Amino acid sequence: MRQIEGVMYQTNAPKGVDPDGIFFVQVDATRCEACGSCEEVCGTGAIQAINEDGIRQVVDPAACMNCGQCLISCPYGAIYEGVSYVDEIFEKLKDPDTIVVSMPAPAVRYGLGECFGAPTGTYVGGQMHAALRQLGFDYIWDNEFTADVTIMEEGTELIQRVKEQGKKDARPLPQFTSCCPGWVKFAETFYPDLTPNLSSCKSPIGMLGPLAKTYGAHETKSEARKIYTVSIMPCIAKKYEGLRPELADSGFRDIDATINTRELAYMIKTAGINFNSLPSQQPDPILGDSTGAATIFGNSGGVMEAALRLAYEVLSGKKLSNPDIKVVRTHEGINTADVKVPGFGTVKVAVASGLANAAKLCDEVRAGKSPYHFIEIMTCPGGCVNGGGQPLDPEIRASLFRSTVAQINKRFRARKVGA
Amino acid sequence: MKMNRRGFIKACGIMAGYAVLGLNTVRTAAADVMNFVAQRQKSVYDADANSGIYKYRKSQDNPMIKKIYDHKDGFLHEGPCGHMSHHLLHTHYVDRSARVAALKDKGFKFNL
Repeated sequence: MRQIEGVMYQTNAPKGVDPDGIFFVQVDATRCEACGSCEEVCGTGAIQAINEDGIRQVVDPAACMNCGQCLISCPYGAIYEGVSYVDEIFEKLKDPDTIVVSMPAPAVRYGLGECFGAPTGTYVGGQMHAALRQLGFDYIWDNEFTADVTIMEEGTELIQRVKEQGKKDARPLPQFTSCCPGWVKFAETFYPDLTPNLSSCKSPIGMLGPLAKTYGAHETKSEARKIYTVSIMPCIAKKYEGLRPELADSGFRDIDATINTRELAYMIKTAGINFNSLPSQQPDPILGDSTGAATIFGNSGGVMEAALRLAYEVLSGKKLSNPDIKVVRTHEGINTADVKVPGFGTVKVAVASGLANAAKLCDEVRAGKSPYHFIEIMTCPGGCVNGGGQPLDPEIRASLFRSTVAQINKRFRARKVGA
Repeated sequence: MKMNRRGFIKACGIMAGYAVLGLNTVRTAAADVMNFVAQRQKSVYDADANSGIYKYRKSQDNPMIKKIYDHKDGFLHEGPCGHMSHHLLHTHYVDRSARVAALKDKGFKFNL
């Protein structure tokens, strides 16, 4: 075990195994104070008391969506991550025969700075690219580029689905987004009958992996077999996604390693890089350039807004003069909106974050009562910016109320044992 | 479950804890988490609207997107949802309900 930005990690980099058997998140029973914060935030109930003292455990990986909301809500640092590729990535960066490619998600650049003392939410995209270059990554590519690709693919798929309604073999509406790996596993586990509603698009990182080893390899005249792709995410569930056996369409494993924002901060600190003095740098071309539509993927409602910026122009044939579609921006809960597109009609959309809210929308679809065309779902409340792999909120560890209650509990437990 | 003396004292202790700190503390703690998220969210929208960071605001305007989807010699020249897209960028899903159903049969309870 190793401590990284306040969270314990097992140093284990699995290869070619079934990710369904791995505990990506687990409770260290010796540090659990039985306060129950984890159970309150768990969307599926996978984390439960396992004895009379109220010590919690993730009871089975099959019921856990690997989102890590329990981990970031634990006031005692009792929840650890089961998978970390940090050591393997350091080895690959040293190996002159390996072409290491960086693939950071949008939300990473709004959290990373906090590990170096910046105020909450500070944008550090330019410094992040500079740090990745200093760490020795060969190509500074960016998952935001494939967020733009996702909009092209998923937006086109939505328009196709709308047009084919009423025809034979039409794909069903509403279309669900498929960017969030916790939500995708949730749909597969608890609503398998609704997977035809899930967009067939891979997530942006699921697209960047195979593009790096085909298009990227071709454009940079690199040997695809030498490319090692590192997915850098605000998320723990992306570690599960990276191990999905079907993600091997480039002829190799599409995603070789997955780390999160905290682990990237740890790598930068371990390498002795002075992050705060780094200049702002651009990503490398081919698979690096992105737009505002891509960066808002980090927020709940962002994929929806980015998709509507495309759908509006394609369906109406007109330019969208003001790209701000603020009605879909979602801070908490479920948000619904009717978006009027000239020459087409009304596009009915819903945006939700948190799995309890997702379940409400899924039940509606299952009952055949859903009026929507397009539904965006994120597992983490507020979206990826609040992902389980992001730097911790310092307030949670300092919560006076929770620590008081837990201390009372612990004292009485201790007496019971002693008696 | 029958409450013994120790359990009663424990419950009193917890209630005293609530009484001293007040339920407001719980509400404030929950609000703090969402304020924290709101700060990160605001920063995202500020970057989107900042032309110094993002020159373009729509995916279809990204020059590298135009290059990859170019009808003549783009890598994805058939356009979105074309043959190459389906091979590399689209996927299928697996029914994973059986393992949770088996756990429920063993007596585990989940929220769904």
